[in-house]
Amino acid sequence: MYGNDIAETIRQKFKVKSLEAQKKLSTLHPHAVAFLKEKGVPVSQLRNHSTKLLGAGIAGGVLLLSPSIDHTITSVDYAKRLTTNLNQTATNLPARGYERTYMEKLNEVLPQEVRALNREEEKRLEQLFYEAYGVKARGTLEGEHLNTTYGRIGAEQHLRRYPGDTMATHDAVAEKDEGMAPGLGAWGYFAPSKEKLTPELVETEKWYAVVQTLYLPDWNTRTRFLRDWYKHRKVLIVNTDNGKAVVAGIADSGPAAWTGKHFGGSPEVMNHLGGARYKKGPVVLFFVDDPNNKVPLGPVTMQQTQLPDVSLKAL
Amino acid sequence: MSSIFYDHLLEFDKLEKYVKKHVKTEEERVEIYHLIDEIVHHRIIGCILDRLPREHHEEFLHKFGEKPHDNELLSFLLSKIGHDVEAFIREEVYTLGSELLELIRPKIKKTS
Repeated sequence: MYGNDIAETIRQKFKVKSLEAQKKLSTLHPHAVAFLKEKGVPVSQLRNHSTKLLGAGIAGGVLLLSPSIDHTITSVDYAKRLTTNLNQTATNLPARGYERTYMEKLNEVLPQEVRALNREEEKRLEQLFYEAYGVKARGTLEGEHLNTTYGRIGAEQHLRRYPGDTMATHDAVAEKDEGMAPGLGAWGYFAPSKEKLTPELVETEKWYAVVQTLYLPDWNTRTRFLRDWYKHRKVLIVNTDNGKAVVAGIADSGPAAWTGKHFGGSPEVMNHLGGARYKKGPVVLFFVDDPNNKVPLGPVTMQQTQLPDVSLKAL
Repeated sequence: MSSIFYDHLLEFDKLEKYVKKHVKTEEERVEIYHLIDEIVHHRIIGCILDRLPREHHEEFLHKFGEKPHDNELLSFLLSKIGHDVEAFIREEVYTLGSELLELIRPKIKKTS
């Protein structure tokens, strides 16, 4: 039984709706349902099946993409993306030469469409991010890897830090603040009481990220380990439209795959990445390799150091 | 991740907001997210097969089973169906989103 009546009603109604959808497909296209079932891909398990396939591809260093949408950048793609960047609004336009060069290099590596990156692409970005931001960021850390490291981030609300926490005692972003989320994050309260809320936890909630742990292929078999591993894990989030970056701590699981988003960011994270009106956009999200907990949460600025050659020919 | 080739066409933001508002615990939310995911897949596969000529079903299902994330599936469907595949998937997504919201939102009684 669910914690409240509305949640239980929603669950029951969607359960019935799901059965209806299954029945309709089985009635109209029985051959299709039978075919997929025989191949070991029941329609209700599609996402799980695909995630496993992609996970195996990434682990093996080869992404299972068809050749026609291979990531290799053609000069036409590159020129198109560069033009897109230069045509962006003034706030997104890299103002100085260094940032412009950085954006060019970033675009050299990124595929045109948002999708899971392969190992080679991630390595090149790790190198670029280290030189640009001075942060050691990794697509894979301690053997853990998200289903994707390049996706769309969406705006989230503030999270309750302790029982009784309200917006009255909470920092808010200046404009268009989304307010407080009605439920708790996936790891519950940050502290059991206001008295036990440390400055570090205040920062973690302020600069929090949301990642899709719920779709990890091994989430159900390694739940306990993964819950601990991901809790407040630092990540570097880079807005690939303007190069703005922030280090955040993971504090919630989501968003649902059917939202078209892959990550979430606190109001402060989103405000830094794209301004008060920024609600959704493409980002790269890597784990921060910070065993001694030296990297602070919050915005990171460019170092102005020499940027590496990340082009394919350099490898 | 775009783990299914039509993921980029899915936008149920209002539904997500509603679920997050009313379903407070992580476990409950995840179960409901999975239920919605199931409904979405059945509906979209159904609407694709409704339009795809029967003789191409097996080829599509074979390709789909092998690489459910492959964007080339859209090109394949376009070549066999002959019109904007993304448009009718978006339409189905929109219809489904409205249906699901209507199902769970309390009905507003008209007073007059």
